[in-house]
Amino acid sequence: MRLPDSVTGSFLVALGAAAAYGGWVLPPVPGQPVGPNVFPLVIGTGLALCGLAIVFGIGHSFEEEEELIPLEDGQAATAPPPQGKLYGLRALLPPALLLFYVFAADRLGFIITAAIMVYVTSSALGAKWKLALPLAALSPFAIHLIFGKLLRVPLPAGLLPTPW
Amino acid sequence: MLKTLIDALSLISTWEVIIAMFAASVYGLVIGSLPGLSATMATALLVPVTFYLSPIAAIATIVAASSMAIFSGDIPGALLRIPGTPASAAYADEAYAMTRKGQAELALGAGVWFSAVGGIAGVLSLMILAPPLAEIALSFSTFEYFWLALLGLMCATLVARSSPVKAIAGMFIGLLVSCIGIENPGGIPRFTFGITDLFGGIEPIPALVGVFAVAQVMRAMLTPEPPPLPRRKFGSIMAGQWTLTKKYHWQMTRGNIVGIIIGVLPGAGADMAAWVSYAMSKRFSKEPQKFGTGHVEGLVEAGASNNASIASGWVPSLLFGIPGDTIAAIAIGVLYMKGLNPGPTLFTEKASSMYAIYLMFIIANILMIPLGIAMIRVAAYILLAPRSTVMPIIMLCCAVGSFAIGNNMFGVVTVAAFGVIGYVMEANGYPVAAMVLGIVMGTMVEQAFVTSLIKSDGSILPFFERPVAAILAAMAIGALLWPVMVWVWRKVKPALTAAAATSQ
Repeated sequence: MRLPDSVTGSFLVALGAAAAYGGWVLPPVPGQPVGPNVFPLVIGTGLALCGLAIVFGIGHSFEEEEELIPLEDGQAATAPPPQGKLYGLRALLPPALLLFYVFAADRLGFIITAAIMVYVTSSALGAKWKLALPLAALSPFAIHLIFGKLLRVPLPAGLLPTPW
Repeated sequence: MLKTLIDALSLISTWEVIIAMFAASVYGLVIGSLPGLSATMATALLVPVTFYLSPIAAIATIVAASSMAIFSGDIPGALLRIPGTPASAAYADEAYAMTRKGQAELALGAGVWFSAVGGIAGVLSLMILAPPLAEIALSFSTFEYFWLALLGLMCATLVARSSPVKAIAGMFIGLLVSCIGIENPGGIPRFTFGITDLFGGIEPIPALVGVFAVAQVMRAMLTPEPPPLPRRKFGSIMAGQWTLTKKYHWQMTRGNIVGIIIGVLPGAGADMAAWVSYAMSKRFSKEPQKFGTGHVEGLVEAGASNNASIASGWVPSLLFGIPGDTIAAIAIGVLYMKGLNPGPTLFTEKASSMYAIYLMFIIANILMIPLGIAMIRVAAYILLAPRSTVMPIIMLCCAVGSFAIGNNMFGVVTVAAFGVIGYVMEANGYPVAAMVLGIVMGTMVEQAFVTSLIKSDGSILPFFERPVAAILAAMAIGALLWPVMVWVWRKVKPALTAAAATSQ
């Protein structure tokens, strides 16, 4: 997800300009010279200026390149995992699963939704089904016991209510 | 004084506080020792649990978990050369070199002993610094608060190990996030896009959980699994620590002081303290050639430093609501929720609660020694847990915890969104700590700024009229211009040397 500075900088210019404009159009408080519009205006302008500076590479010399720790002879060099074009998209799996939780938890219930989340995350990180399946079966109950039972968070029951 | 102390003792000597503290200590030790799970993440995931505890027990869990996690990060650093938390990264190489020389006990013992000493030094600084500063802060008006907040934000951008422009941009993004909602000077829905859930604004806690926990799981998806820990038998862990204390007492004190100063600075936390102290130790050492070959001196200084910063980070948090580091940023959220609103009056009106916090810090650091030794002995078993079993549980805790904060599914959406934001920012060199500071301090900055503007009737002059305000203003503007001056200096210096070379 390493993007060129010109891309992130331009994005910040657009975001800052939008924020400043959004602040500009806010209605003022009657009889008051400053209201809710001042702060977004200031921040938006600042953000846009920062974005411009980043596009032009100002301050880039301060950035420290990440040091790669060389492998010791004792440690076996692990082969880099196969990287396809879509490999980078794996990073989006956790937020996608959280959104899945938002939409599915009320219908499927906490236990089933949580089990699916655990199974998918675990296998995505390289667990065999022998490990991922028991984990997905047991951990939702443990979490439900702590949060639902002890801390009384109203977790949705859905299709499969817990025995307690 | 004595009465408040007795009150404080009675506050913390309840079963709830004792159990909460012990459980949080074990939790902090385990999370800190697992590579990739930081002390900040441990604290952030703890917040939903603190909702259901009494105020003192809630703070006890944060104090205990954060102190333990910072020490515990030394364990995989020494044994695997993979720091458990970023705060241990500065000296992981050194500690691992000691392990290879067969001095693992000495390295880990120094970790636990000097962490405890550093932690206690940090508490002492909190006890000594905070009350007199509170006296001064009582006379602050909105002008001083505005400059102080600005100075805090600027400090965070100065100390970032990245481009200052990107750090300032990160700070602005955080401030922009804090603009969302109706909690503004006009009470008008701002940047809500008609979404009802956004009217209340973005809660800082789910945002922090997203940035520190979800983003970490996202990174784990793309990085290879760390190697398993070879099992080994440990000798006596505390043997030789007293000799080290006597031999390196000056290094230890210097580490403590540097840690305290860095902790007080907003935005700079334990990891920065460790880097600076390790570098300082090498710079001033009598035997700098030994550094990197398994020499304990740097470990002593940096270990004393990173734990000292944890407690001193609470000084600006308790006084002004300006977090000293990312852990304190989370603590501020909890303080507000528990009715202990940060501010100078906290030290006069809730003095017994303050003493309770000091006492808990001291107890946590003493408790660190036996629990830390136990943790070192069982670490080999805990580090056997593969990432594919830990990360899914973290994900579940993120989902349930962020839901529990408001019993609202929107919290989970916030966590997911900020996971993506944190991941993208980190990957492109934008420091997330600056954004976090902006989110936490945004409302306060805006309030101080707008109230000051209304008071001054739109004029800029009153911002500089009061003496304290003028000093703070000079410091804040200096901090803003500092990177510019460095940049200009770097451009001018080669030109000057080139000119000198040609003239010769």
